[in-house]
Amino acid sequence: MATRNRTLLFRKYRNSLRSVRAPMTESKSGVGPVIEMASTSLLHPKRSYTPVSTEDPANSSKGAVTVGLPPDWVDVSEEISVNIQRARTKMAELGKAHAKALMPSFGDGKEDQHQIESLTQEVTLLLRKSEKQLQRLSKGGPSEDSSVRKNVQRSLATDLQQLSMELRKKQSTYLKRLRLQKEDGGDLEMNLNGSSSRAEDDDFDDILFSEHQMSKIKKSEEISVEREKEIQQVVESVNELAQIMKDLSALVIDQGTIVDRIDYNIQNVASTVEDGLKQLQKAERTQRSGGMVKCASVLVILCFIMLVLLILKEIIF
Amino acid sequence: MVLVTTVRDYINRMLQDISGMKVLILDSETVSNVSIVYSQSELLQKEVFLVEMIDSISASSESMSHLKAVYFVRPTSENVQKLRYQLANPRFGEYHLFFSNLLKDTQIHILADSDEQEVVQQVQEFYADFVAGDPYHFTLNMASNHLYMLPAVVDPSGLQRYSDRVVDGIAAVFLALKRRPVIRYQRTSDTAKRIAQETAKLMYQQESGLFDFRRTESSPLLLVIDRRDDPVTPLLNQWTYQAMVHELIGLQDNKVDLRAIGSLPKDQQVEVVLSSEQDAFFKSNMYENFGDIGMNIKRMVDDFQQVAKSNQNIQTVEDMARFVDNYPEYKKMQGNVSKHVTLVTEMSKLVEARKLMLVSQTEQDLACNGGQGAAYEAVTDLLNNESVSDIDRLRLVMLYALRYEKENPVQLMQLFNKLASRSPKYKQGLVQFLLKQAGVEKRTGDLFGNRDLLNIARNMARGLKVWVENVYTQHQPLLFQTMESITRGRLRDVDYPFVGDHFQQGRPQEVVIFMVGGTTYEESRCVALQNSTNSGIRFILGGTAVLNSKRFLMDLEEAQRISRSGSHMV
Repeated sequence: MATRNRTLLFRKYRNSLRSVRAPMTESKSGVGPVIEMASTSLLHPKRSYTPVSTEDPANSSKGAVTVGLPPDWVDVSEEISVNIQRARTKMAELGKAHAKALMPSFGDGKEDQHQIESLTQEVTLLLRKSEKQLQRLSKGGPSEDSSVRKNVQRSLATDLQQLSMELRKKQSTYLKRLRLQKEDGGDLEMNLNGSSSRAEDDDFDDILFSEHQMSKIKKSEEISVEREKEIQQVVESVNELAQIMKDLSALVIDQGTIVDRIDYNIQNVASTVEDGLKQLQKAERTQRSGGMVKCASVLVILCFIMLVLLILKEIIF
Repeated sequence: MVLVTTVRDYINRMLQDISGMKVLILDSETVSNVSIVYSQSELLQKEVFLVEMIDSISASSESMSHLKAVYFVRPTSENVQKLRYQLANPRFGEYHLFFSNLLKDTQIHILADSDEQEVVQQVQEFYADFVAGDPYHFTLNMASNHLYMLPAVVDPSGLQRYSDRVVDGIAAVFLALKRRPVIRYQRTSDTAKRIAQETAKLMYQQESGLFDFRRTESSPLLLVIDRRDDPVTPLLNQWTYQAMVHELIGLQDNKVDLRAIGSLPKDQQVEVVLSSEQDAFFKSNMYENFGDIGMNIKRMVDDFQQVAKSNQNIQTVEDMARFVDNYPEYKKMQGNVSKHVTLVTEMSKLVEARKLMLVSQTEQDLACNGGQGAAYEAVTDLLNNESVSDIDRLRLVMLYALRYEKENPVQLMQLFNKLASRSPKYKQGLVQFLLKQAGVEKRTGDLFGNRDLLNIARNMARGLKVWVENVYTQHQPLLFQTMESITRGRLRDVDYPFVGDHFQQGRPQEVVIFMVGGTTYEESRCVALQNSTNSGIRFILGGTAVLNSKRFLMDLEEAQRISRSGSHMV
């Protein structure tokens, strides 16, 4: 696809026009020349002097060349995106920890469990915090840049939703594999114990055999209780995330629908602004015409007049 | 894919090198160009958090200097004036200006003059100056489309503006494709000839450096033709999904406004999007006829009901987790199903109310088959039928007049009188005006296939085939024949001469057909089907607008009104 860059030509015109303009504007406020000279000093670094700015700072701020200071809510949105980034890295770690825990190991695997637990909690906490901050973002009250704020909110909500869905998918696959493992592991243990018990069957009598069985049962009970606990925790976090997702889905745009069209959003803004204006005008009118206070005061005055008349009538007669 | 992808690439390039929060500013034409290929959520991903129109910017006074402004507008003098004012009082931190077509040096000068604060960082030309609705179909969405029907003397400046806009649009298409074509035009149309010559002048003389692309084996072909060569296609009622929606309800920039129908419950969507890029069901059904669509929709509804039932059956926590996982997909599917069901229901209601099955059968007979006597009988019957609406009566008489213009003038007159007595709403003489514009003497192509023996024989063979296929979609637009001639390398020089000393060896591999006066969705369907046959030639179709019968009649009326007032003045 072809494009053509006209910036050079534009800059050439701008510079030549500026030099034409410079001698003329010294009589006006000092804004123009100061900026021009400041930029020429950038262009010609060999020049050793920079002019001292003599005009007041209020004027110079009008011609800011650089990007100005953003409003406060931008800081909040940046915080949220930083949190989202942190959550992403933690989720990558969580994925690795899941994989490690699923590998068959000789040890107890308790540290792995702890790590997974803590990581999961951290990620969930981060996501929940981001979601709360996101809700706060919208509460800041209507202002001129409310549509910008709404759009920032939307894009952050989309990212957040994606992350929570990813997290839940990871957790559910881990759960599934864990369950499979539990069954397999249980069978394996049973088989091992079963074979060993069969070997010793001839040597021991029934009482000892049942002791073995008891210990075997106790051990498998402990294991299953542990696994239950893990599963319960994972399920809890799944539910929490479900809640987050429900809240977020109100914010996120459905792709492919009319709400996702740029022209629809522009029209809507225009029409809601118009509607808002009409409502305001109507409210103003009703407020003005509903001069309850005026009515009441007129009535009170009338009452007073009548009272005075009554008193006068009494006095006269 | 081609045109849509190039416009998306342009927009991506505009946004990718600018970091930080951005505001995108469009004008009333570029908003269509952008909205049809790029979605709001994609803009949000590129950190564009505000979209505004260039008209409404000066109204608001708050300064948002933490935003960088990206302007994408047409290089018109009005836009340049508005930019002047906005650059002199900048609201945003940085300004990046992108124009959708060629800038004149004077315009750059004006902009440079007003940029006292030096906020402009770049000025570029990105040639996305057309509305790319479908992969091989674009339009220019022009407002005063009727101007092409009027002779130049009536409104010379208006016609000049019209022609300039068309030339700009065509130039933008070729710049986006990075090609310089050989140009041919329809001999019988003055407007087409003028546009072809001015395009050639732009591409080969005025901006020959810009258009000097790498020469490929065979040059592409630009064919400029006139709507009036085939006035039948826009008048016919349509029965394939996309064309039918446009004909009965109206499709603008791939959006359908259901408010026009007015019989919907409150909570229904009032506007829906029908885009082949985003809607898989629509993509596979947009060229299917009404009966097949009904069956496919029923299948889709059945699938959806199954999914809905399984979603209601939640018993364990796993089910719940699965439901929440699949919820976005489920919601999307639900929205899609309800959209298509609503559309098809509304269209069925309209078909029933206007008795369109009956009317359309006669229309197709008029357009495709012979028999003047039988046609006269059929049209008279429908004119007498009370439930046929005025616009349908007008269309029938027009189709009859176009077909049997010279045969049996007495009966033709009788039809005119009957129409005038039944439908006083329509201006007198609209049918006669149509004949003057697009009658048999004015047309180049063999619209009804009855000019030579070969065509008559072909028609008879087609008649047999029709018995198997659908009666309502037997019509083939004239464009089909034109594309066939190009494919065979037999487009007659007499009818479609080359501009100047252009010359084409062999067959072109890429052809852009531009129809002055507008295209129809039936023709875009024809082009898409032709491209899918892999004949070695890729066709792209474009026009000044996308017509349905209402729009075509509106243009005719407007042209008639102007030419009448003009003749009074003379």
